Amino acid sequence: MRPILTRVYALAEMMAASCLVIIAALVLLQVMGRIADGTLKFLGFEAVGFLVPSLAEIAGFLLVGASFLALASTLRHAVHIRVSLAISHAPAGLRKVMETLVLVLGLALIGYFSWYAVLLSLDSYQFNELSFGIIPIPLWIPQAVMALGLIVFAVSILDDLIVQLSGGTPSYVLAEQGKGIEGAD
Amino acid sequence: MDLSLFAPLLGVVLLVSLALGLWVSVALAACALFAMYFVSAPSGPVLMTTVWGAANSWDLTALPMFIWMGEILFRSKLSENMFAGLSPWMRNLPGRLFHVNIIGCGIFAAVSGSSAATTATIGKMALPELLKRGYDERLAIGTLAGSGTLGLLIPPSIILIVYGAATEQSIARLFIAGVLPGAMLCLLFMGYVIAWSLINRAKMPEADPAIPFMERLIATRGLLPIILLIVGVIGSIYAGLAAPTEAAAVGVLLSLFLSWWYGTLTKASFTDALLGATRTSCMIAFILAGAAMLTVAMGFTGIPRELAGWIGSMNLSPYALLAALTLFFIVLGCFLDGISVVVLTTSVILPMVEAAGLDLIWFGIYLVLVVEMSQITPPVGFNLFVLQAMTGRNIFQIARMALPFFLIMILAVALIVAFPGLATWLPQTMLSN
Amino acid sequence: AETKWDMPTPYGDNNFHTMNIAEFAEDVGEATGGSLTIQIHSAGSLFKHPEIKNAVRKGLAPIGEVLISRLSNEDPIFGLDSVPFLATSYDDAKKLYDASRPLLEKKLEEQGLQLLFAVPWPPQGIYAKKEVKSLDDLKGVKFRAYNAATEQIAQLAGAVPTQVEVPDIPTAFSTGRVDAMITSPSTGANTKAWDFLSHYHDTQAWLPKNMVIVNKAAFDALSEDEKNVVLKAAAEAETRGWEASKAETADKTKVLADNGITVVDPSNELMGGFAEIGATMVEEWKASAGDEGAAVIDAYRN
Ligand code: NA
Ligand code: NA
Repeated sequence: MRPILTRVYALAEMMAASCLVIIAALVLLQVMGRIADGTLKFLGFEAVGFLVPSLAEIAGFLLVGASFLALASTLRHAVHIRVSLAISHAPAGLRKVMETLVLVLGLALIGYFSWYAVLLSLDSYQFNELSFGIIPIPLWIPQAVMALGLIVFAVSILDDLIVQLSGGTPSYVLAEQGKGIEGAD
Repeated sequence: MDLSLFAPLLGVVLLVSLALGLWVSVALAACALFAMYFVSAPSGPVLMTTVWGAANSWDLTALPMFIWMGEILFRSKLSENMFAGLSPWMRNLPGRLFHVNIIGCGIFAAVSGSSAATTATIGKMALPELLKRGYDERLAIGTLAGSGTLGLLIPPSIILIVYGAATEQSIARLFIAGVLPGAMLCLLFMGYVIAWSLINRAKMPEADPAIPFMERLIATRGLLPIILLIVGVIGSIYAGLAAPTEAAAVGVLLSLFLSWWYGTLTKASFTDALLGATRTSCMIAFILAGAAMLTVAMGFTGIPRELAGWIGSMNLSPYALLAALTLFFIVLGCFLDGISVVVLTTSVILPMVEAAGLDLIWFGIYLVLVVEMSQITPPVGFNLFVLQAMTGRNIFQIARMALPFFLIMILAVALIVAFPGLATWLPQTMLSN
Repeated sequence: AETKWDMPTPYGDNNFHTMNIAEFAEDVGEATGGSLTIQIHSAGSLFKHPEIKNAVRKGLAPIGEVLISRLSNEDPIFGLDSVPFLATSYDDAKKLYDASRPLLEKKLEEQGLQLLFAVPWPPQGIYAKKEVKSLDDLKGVKFRAYNAATEQIAQLAGAVPTQVEVPDIPTAFSTGRVDAMITSPSTGANTKAWDFLSHYHDTQAWLPKNMVIVNKAAFDALSEDEKNVVLKAAAEAETRGWEASKAETADKTKVLADNGITVVDPSNELMGGFAEIGATMVEEWKASAGDEGAAVIDAYRN
C-alpha cells in the first residue's frame, strides 16, 4: 500500500507543478505574440493580432489545479503551516491525544469539503455550466480537478491518522523536525 | 444569537483550533463552518462555491509565479552576488544590509500587487544571506514582515483594485496616490533600522573592511543581473508587453535565464525550485480558500456590517471616526484577511466617510495602510504565514518581531491623517483635469 | 413568519443599478411590513459576479443580480441584448426585451429561476485614443475583447482583438497594450477614462441589461401577499430603472465631455460599416439560436 500511496501523492504534485509550468508558458506565449506584433508593426507590416484566447480564465483554472493537486504533498513536507507552540510543549501523552484530534478533525473537514466539491462539479456537469470568455469551457472539468485534489488530501490525512494510531509518527511531524531556514546554515 | 456573544465565540473557536495545532487553512475552514451553522443558507454548497470562486482567479496566478521566481533566484548565485555588490557601499549607513530588505521590498512592490508575493520573493533571497552574514534574525524577519506589506501600497495593488471597483474610484488615481505614502513608509522603516542599529551596536555584525573605490566598482558588477531582472520585469509592463499579472511569468523566464547564465540551472535545481514554489503557493492558496470561507460566513452572519454600523451610530467627528475605524480594522484584521474586512464593510463605512467629508481617494490609501497592518497581526496575517513557512518560527514569534513595524504603520496612518496631501497631491497634480 | 433574503449584487453602492435595487429592497420591506426583508450585499461582497447566478439557482442566496450576457455561452438567448446594432435606442431595446422576455423566462425557469426585472446599461460606445471616422481607422487597432461577441466585432472591423481584464484597463491603455474599447458612458466615467484616452464615439451599439432573478422555490415559499408585493415592487423597479438608465446616459456623457473627452457623433460612414457587421452578427445569432431565436427576432421586427 505504501508505494502506491507515495506514487499517488507524487503524481498529484507533479500534475500541480505542471499546471504552474503551463500557466507560465501560456502567458509567455501571449507576451511573445505582442512582441511579434510590435515588431511587425514597427517594420511596417500588418499586426497578426496574436491572441491566446481566454488566457485569464484558463490560467485561473490551471491555478486551481496547481493549488489543489499539491495539497497532500504540501502536507507531507510540512509546508501547510500551523501553530505548534502548544502541541510541541505538551507532555508526550497529551501530545499524542492532540495530534490524533488534529488528524481526526482534519479528516472530517477535508472529507466534508471533498464531498461538496464532488457535488459542485456534478451539478455544473448536469446544468452544463460554461465559462464566460471567448472559449466556453465546461466548469465541471476544473471543478473535478479541485475535488480530486481534496480527495487525495483527505486520503493523505487518513494515511497519517492510521500511522498515528498504530504508534508511528505522522509524515508532517517528521518533516517539521528537520526544518530550519533553508540556505542559511 | 446575540452579536456581543457570537463574535467573541467565533474568535475563541478560531484560537482554540489554532492552539490545538490544526493547520491554519483548516482552522479557518472549521471556524467558517461553525459560523455557517447559525445561518439558514446551506453550509457545504455555500462554502464550496466560495472556495471555487476564490481559487480560480487570474490575479492570483501572479503569486505562484513570483514565488517560483524567488525559488529560482535563491538557487542561483544571484542573491549572494547582489549582497556582495551592495555590501561595500552600505558599510557607512547604520543598519547596512538590513536596508536591502526594505528597499528590495519597495522595488519589488512596484511589480507585485500582493504583500505575500513580495515577502516570499524578497525573503527567499535576502533572509539566508543576512543570517549568513551575522545579522540579527529578529530584525531581519521583522523588516521583511513590515516591508513586505509595501506590496499593497506601492502600485500595482490588489487591494486598491478591489476598493476602486467597489467605490467606483479611478484605479489609475488610486495607484498614483499610493506612491508617496509608500515612499514615506519605506523611509520610516529605514529610519527605524538606523535607530535600532545605532542603539544595538553590539548586535550588528562586523562591518566589511573598507575597500578602494575601484574594487568596489568591480564588486558592483554583481548587481547588474538583478538590475537587468528588475528592468526586464517592470519594463515589460511599461513597454506594453505584459499586464502586471503577466509580468510575473516574465520574471520566471528572466530568472531561469540568469540561473543558466550563472551555470546554476540544472535539472535538479529546476525541479527543486518548481516543487518549492508549488508547495508554498499551495499553502498560501489554501489559506486564502479558508479565509474566503470565513469571509462568506461573515457576510451571512452580518457581524462585520453590524459592528461597522455600530460605529456609524455614534455620530463621531471626522478625527474620532478615523480613530474608531482604525481600531475596528485592527481588531477585525487580526481575525480576517484585511481585504475581506474592506469588502465586507465598505457598504456601511463609505456613507459615513462621505458624510464626514473625506476624500475617497485619500480614504483608499488610508484603508490600504490599515489593511497592511492586518498582514502582520496574529493569528491571521499572510506575511506571518509566509515567514513561518520560510523560517520555522511560529506566527506569534514573528508577529512579535514585526511589532515595531506595526507601530510605525500606525504612525504612518497618523501622518496621512495630519497631512492628507501626502496621498492627494500627486494624483491631483499628475492628472489635472 | 419573518423572512430575510440575502441578495448578492455585482456592482458598488453608487452604481445606478445598485441604487435602484436598494429602492426595490426598501419597497419590499415596507410593503410587507417587515415580514420580508432583503439584505443587499453589493460589489460582489457575498458571492462574486461569476458565482451569483448559480448561487441563486442552488438557493444559496434566494435572490441576486447578474449581467444577462455573462450567461451567453450557456444559451444564445442570454446574448441577444449584446448583439451589436440590433437594438440601438432605449425604445428598440425595450421592444427587444419585450419580444425576448417569454423565451428568457422559459430558459431561466428550466434552471428553477424566475426573472423579476431587467434594467439596461447606457448604450455602448467606442472609446479610443483618436477619432475613428470610418472602419478603416480601426484597422490594426488593438481593440478590447472580453467574450466571443466582442472578439468577433473586433475581427469583423479589421481590428486586433486584445484581452484586457476590467481592473487592468487603465494600465493597458496607458502602456499601449490596447487602443480602443466598447463600453457604456457609465463605465467610462466611473473609470475616469479621460486619464488614459481622448475620444468617445456615441455609436449606441447595444444596450446590455442586468437582471434580478429569484430562486423559484424561495419565491414559492412566500405568502400570496408577499409574492404580490415582490412582483409589484419589481415592476416598479423595472420602470424606474429604465428611466434611471436614460438619466445615467445623459449624466455620464456630460461627465465625459466636461472632463475633456471629445464626444463624437459617429459619421455615417462609420455607422454604415458597423451596420454591416451588425447584420452579419444578427444572422449568426439567429443560426445559433434556432427557431425559437428566429421567432424572437421576428416578433421584435414586427
Ligand atoms: Na505593489
Ligand atoms: Na491579521
